[in-house]
Amino acid sequence: MPGPILQVRNLMKSFGGVTAVNGVSLSLEAGKIYGLFGPNGSGKTTLFNCITGIERRDQGAIGFKGRRIDGLKPHQVFHRGIGRTFQVIRVFPELTALENLLVVTGGDYARSRERAEELLRFVKLEGLADEYAGNLSYGQQKLVEFIRVLMTDPELILLDEPAAGVNRTLLNELLDAVRALRDRGKTVFLVEHDMKVVMGLCETVFVLDHGEKLAEGPPGSIQSDERVIEAYFGR
Amino acid sequence: MTLAAELRRWARWFLPGVAVLLVILAVFPIWATGYGVRVMLQLFMWIALAQSWNLISGLTGYVSFGHVAFFGIGAYTTGILVTKGMAWPLAALAGGAMAVVLAFVIGWPCLRLKGPYFAIAMLGLNEVLRVAASYFEGLTGGGLGLSLPTLDASVRIYYAMGLVAIAVTGLTHAIVTSRFGLRLMTIREDEVAAEAMGIDTFRYKVYAFLLSAAAPGIVGGLAARDMGYIEPISVFPLITTITMIVMVLFGGKGTIWGPVLGAVILFTFQELVWAHFPHAHQVLLGAIIITVVLAMPRGILGVLQQKYNLPRTV
Repeated sequence: MPGPILQVRNLMKSFGGVTAVNGVSLSLEAGKIYGLFGPNGSGKTTLFNCITGIERRDQGAIGFKGRRIDGLKPHQVFHRGIGRTFQVIRVFPELTALENLLVVTGGDYARSRERAEELLRFVKLEGLADEYAGNLSYGQQKLVEFIRVLMTDPELILLDEPAAGVNRTLLNELLDAVRALRDRGKTVFLVEHDMKVVMGLCETVFVLDHGEKLAEGPPGSIQSDERVIEAYFGR
Repeated sequence: MTLAAELRRWARWFLPGVAVLLVILAVFPIWATGYGVRVMLQLFMWIALAQSWNLISGLTGYVSFGHVAFFGIGAYTTGILVTKGMAWPLAALAGGAMAVVLAFVIGWPCLRLKGPYFAIAMLGLNEVLRVAASYFEGLTGGGLGLSLPTLDASVRIYYAMGLVAIAVTGLTHAIVTSRFGLRLMTIREDEVAAEAMGIDTFRYKVYAFLLSAAAPGIVGGLAARDMGYIEPISVFPLITTITMIVMVLFGGKGTIWGPVLGAVILFTFQELVWAHFPHAHQVLLGAIIITVVLAMPRGILGVLQQKYNLPRTV
C-alpha cells in the first residue's frame, strides 16, 4: 500500500501573539475526499496557506508524495501537484474567463486552449469565455476559480469553502465535479461549514479548534462528538 | 451598441492608418523645419518612455516612481562614451544596456517588496543617482554638467527615436497578446492567486522590469546627444517620471495603444500650453492627474475596452 499523499507533522504557525495553528498533524490518502471543519478563527485557512506555501510555517513538516514541501514557494508547491481555491474569490477580474485559465499552464498554447474550453463547457460557462471575469456573477466566478485549479490536473486539490454563497443547483454540480475528481484518483481536501455538504461528500473529517486538532474520523462520528459540539456551541 | 459597431468598423482602418502615418513620418524631415523635427523627436521620446513605464507598471501594477533613473543613466553613459570618441548610435545602445544592468541590480532586491514599498525604493534610486552624478565629477563633470562635442544630428536622432518608439510599441503588442503578458497582468490583478496558480511572480516581474528599462536608457542617450549638454537636474527630474505615468494613465494602462494615445494628446497639449502659458503647464498636468484618477482610472482606451468589450489589441 502506498504511503499517504499528504502528511502534516506537528505544524505550528503564529502571527504575533496569536497561535493560528498549534501542533497539527494529519495525513491524507490518495483518492479520497477529506473535510476540514471548525469554528471561525480555528486555523483552517492558515493550515491551507501553510500547505500551499503562502504562509511559511514556524515549526513542523509538510510532506507531499514522500517529499518535503514546507519552505517551497507557492508556485513551486503548485507545480508539485497541489492546487487550491480561496475562501474569498480570487479570479483575475480584468482577464477574461478564458484568459484566467490560460495563464495557468505552460507549453503548447493550442492544447491549453483546448483544455480551457473543455473545462468551461464542463461548468457550462463556454458562452462567457471572452467576458471579463470581474463581470461574472459570484457563482460563475467561483466556478472559474474551481476549473482554473483543474487546468494542470493536480493530484491534491484544496478547496476553501466551495459551497459558500453558491446556489443549490450550482452546488450540486460542483459537488458532482468533486466526486468525479475523486473517482479519477485525485485527493480533495475541503474547508466547509455546511454540515450537509460535509456529510454527503467527505470520507474523513478533521476538526480544528483554536489551532489544534480536536477530532478526526468519519463525518457521522464527528457530528455526535461531544468536544466538537462544545467547540461550536459552547457548553 | 451602435457606437461599438462603429468602433469595430473603424478598427479595420486602424492598421492601414498606422502604416500611412508611418510613411508620412518617414518623409516628414525632408520638408520640415528644424523646429518641427525636434518637436517630433521629442514626441517619439515620450511615446517610448510612456510605453516602457507601461510594461512594468501598467502590466504588473508595480508602480515605478523612478523610471527616469534609466533615462538618466542612459544619458550619462552615452554622454561619457561620446566624449571619449564613440559613435553616438553605439553609445546610445550602450546606454540602454547600462539601464538594463541597473534595472537588474535594483530590481533583484526591490521587486521582492510589495507594491508601495517598491514605488518608494524607485523614487530613492533616482535621488541617489542624481546625487551620484553630481558627486563623481571626474567622470560626469559633476554639477557643472557634461558637454558633448557639437554635432547636428537632429534628423538622424529623429529616425533613431522613431525606431525606438516603434520597437517598444511592437514589443508591447507582442507581450500583451501572449501568455507571458497575461501572466504579468495576473500579478497586477492578484499576486497571491498568481503565485498559487504556479506563476513565479518574482521572475516575471524581473523580466518585465528589464524590458521596461532598455528603451528609456537608449532614449536617454539619444536625448543627451540631441541636447549636447547634460547635467544631473536635467536628466534625473522627477517630473519626467510623473509625465510618463500621467500619459499612460490618461491613455489607458496595460493597453497597447493607450500610452501612445496618452503621449500624443498630452505632449501636444503641453506644447500648446507651454508656448502660451509657460507657468501653467504643471498646474494643468496636476489637474489632469486628478481628473483621470477620479473620473476614469482605466484611461481612455481602458474605458472603451471595458464598455464595449473590445479585444486587447485595440
